[in-house]
Amino acid sequence: MSFYTLFFDFIRLSLKALSERRARAILTIVGIAIGPLVLVMMSSVVSSYSDYIVERVTSLGQNAIAVFPMENYKIDGEDLDFIRSLPEIARAEPFFSTQGILKRGTEEIKVSIFAIDYTLLFEAIGSLKISEGDVPSGLLYSIVGRKVSFRDGGEQYFALNDILTLTIPKIESGKITGRKNINVYVGAILEEYGGALIVDPDSTVFLSPEAGKKLLGMKDWSGIFILVHDPSFVRSVVSTLRSKYENKLQVIAFSAIAEAISSVTDAIGFINFSTSLSAFAVAVAGVAATMITSVMERTREIGVMKAIGYTSIQILTLILLESIVMSLIGASLGISLGTVGAHMLSSRGLTIGGVGLTLQLAPKITPTLILQTLSLTVMIGLLGGALPAYRASRIPPIVALRYE
Amino acid sequence: MENSKKILIELVNVYKEYRVSEISTLALKNVNFKVYEGDLVAIMGPSGSGKTTLLNMLGLLDRPTSGKILFEDKDTSKLSDKELALLRNIKLGFVFQIFNLVNRLTVFENIELPLIPRAVPRSLRAEMVKEALLKAGGELEWLKKKPNQLSGGQQQRVAIARAIVGNPPIVLADEPTGNLDRASAKIIIETFLNLNRKGHSVIVVTHDPEVANCMRNIYVIRDGAIMGAYEPNPSESLISKMM
Repeated sequence: MSFYTLFFDFIRLSLKALSERRARAILTIVGIAIGPLVLVMMSSVVSSYSDYIVERVTSLGQNAIAVFPMENYKIDGEDLDFIRSLPEIARAEPFFSTQGILKRGTEEIKVSIFAIDYTLLFEAIGSLKISEGDVPSGLLYSIVGRKVSFRDGGEQYFALNDILTLTIPKIESGKITGRKNINVYVGAILEEYGGALIVDPDSTVFLSPEAGKKLLGMKDWSGIFILVHDPSFVRSVVSTLRSKYENKLQVIAFSAIAEAISSVTDAIGFINFSTSLSAFAVAVAGVAATMITSVMERTREIGVMKAIGYTSIQILTLILLESIVMSLIGASLGISLGTVGAHMLSSRGLTIGGVGLTLQLAPKITPTLILQTLSLTVMIGLLGGALPAYRASRIPPIVALRYE
Repeated sequence: MENSKKILIELVNVYKEYRVSEISTLALKNVNFKVYEGDLVAIMGPSGSGKTTLLNMLGLLDRPTSGKILFEDKDTSKLSDKELALLRNIKLGFVFQIFNLVNRLTVFENIELPLIPRAVPRSLRAEMVKEALLKAGGELEWLKKKPNQLSGGQQQRVAIARAIVGNPPIVLADEPTGNLDRASAKIIIETFLNLNRKGHSVIVVTHDPEVANCMRNIYVIRDGAIMGAYEPNPSESLISKMM
């Protein structure tokens, strides 16, 4: 009971002391608020986008590897057999891929065309789900992404068993010699996958490998899709393939991409944190300057308080509480403004070049982030107030009472 | 004649030396002084005579260079700063020449300041503050005002209320009338006399003979040494002169 009485009295005295020097306190609080503002705003937005990107890349399968032929190299059965012979390999299937134009009434949309073993596709991309129809078996039946079947407004244009007319490049001897149209049925429609970074299933027409060869007329495989038994084998398989094929094959492991993105976003996070720390460091100096001035101005008052029975520890606590109260107000202000700023920043969206994908995600303001920011800001109060509070507590009462 | 009253504070062979760079000043020289229960004492002396230093020793605000200060028979040299602060809070009340009130706080908050470090429950404080203010000759309507809304005399009464709110047995006043006109000074001295009648020991440091003559005993200090005790001359006191 007596502790709480003392504590609340000290808080009240601290607030009174701050209110006396209102303009100085407000400016110091504004200085303190910049750190938490930057930290909350930037961290929540960066972590929201980076988590999304990493999650998307990760969803492509941590045990998946894709190999593509480099210029002037053709993948053949021998390569496929070699890959399949590696003990770490669970499955390896070739695929064909190309770009095409789909006529949808009067409009034409750009689509990706992948001819790949359907079971491998669903095995590799675990979150890929069919919303209408079943995995087709016929040569002329395709699986189409959500954006192929539905217009942007949400209106369905292609239903099951509708015919798609795709215009694809005609390739002869590895060169585009013209265009040709192919017609396939809609055998199944996928659920919306969301923005994808490497493959975009929503804008893709999937065909069977047989259809790839016969309908698309592609003789050379575009690549081989590989699944290893365990994600821990990815590194060794990538290494084996790179050392064997050197400049002949491009080997891409999705887990490595996720790792790379993760390390980039970690670096961005660290830079952001360091920038915020600079703001925090400036705030420490600001608090220290304010509190030292305040202590100097109140030296005589401190002497009186000591004379009437305040202990050195109580004087230290009083002064320290003032700086902590300022930092708590600064933290509240900074976190609130940071939250608003984060929402404004993320509402602008993030366009990822190359894939033409625009993401608009809510900032990731977590209790951990708030607590971390709050702790750091309170630390500002403690650090900035420590020296002035210590000095105030050490002033002998008679010296303080003589102070003019 | 040996005083039968209880000794509250006793200075035994106290020396106090201040040292600034190479120069040292002996502010108190072999001072022996006793404060008894119920005392009404004036310590007189010219500027720089050591009277404030003596008051600081009596108020446990400073430690002697040599000698002992006994507080209720306890050697204070063995007490920590925290214990000294507690003694000051419970046993001593201070009144200063320039009032030393905190202007951002109300009169109520100023008077309750000594009650905070000992965590007196808030429910008891209002009554204690009001009682102290009335005892110090103040008016309850001042409680919500800020000190700078009061006259000098009124502020000094608030300062006295702050000194006695915890009901300490000893009140120490350093030139309490130094910043006041004669009429206000008279009121303040009457307040001290009244406090003494109610059982507080009052020690007033002053260079004003008219103030000193209002007390029961006068000690004269010069060059850091107590020259002796003198009987006051009531006809030369501030109170009789202002009548």
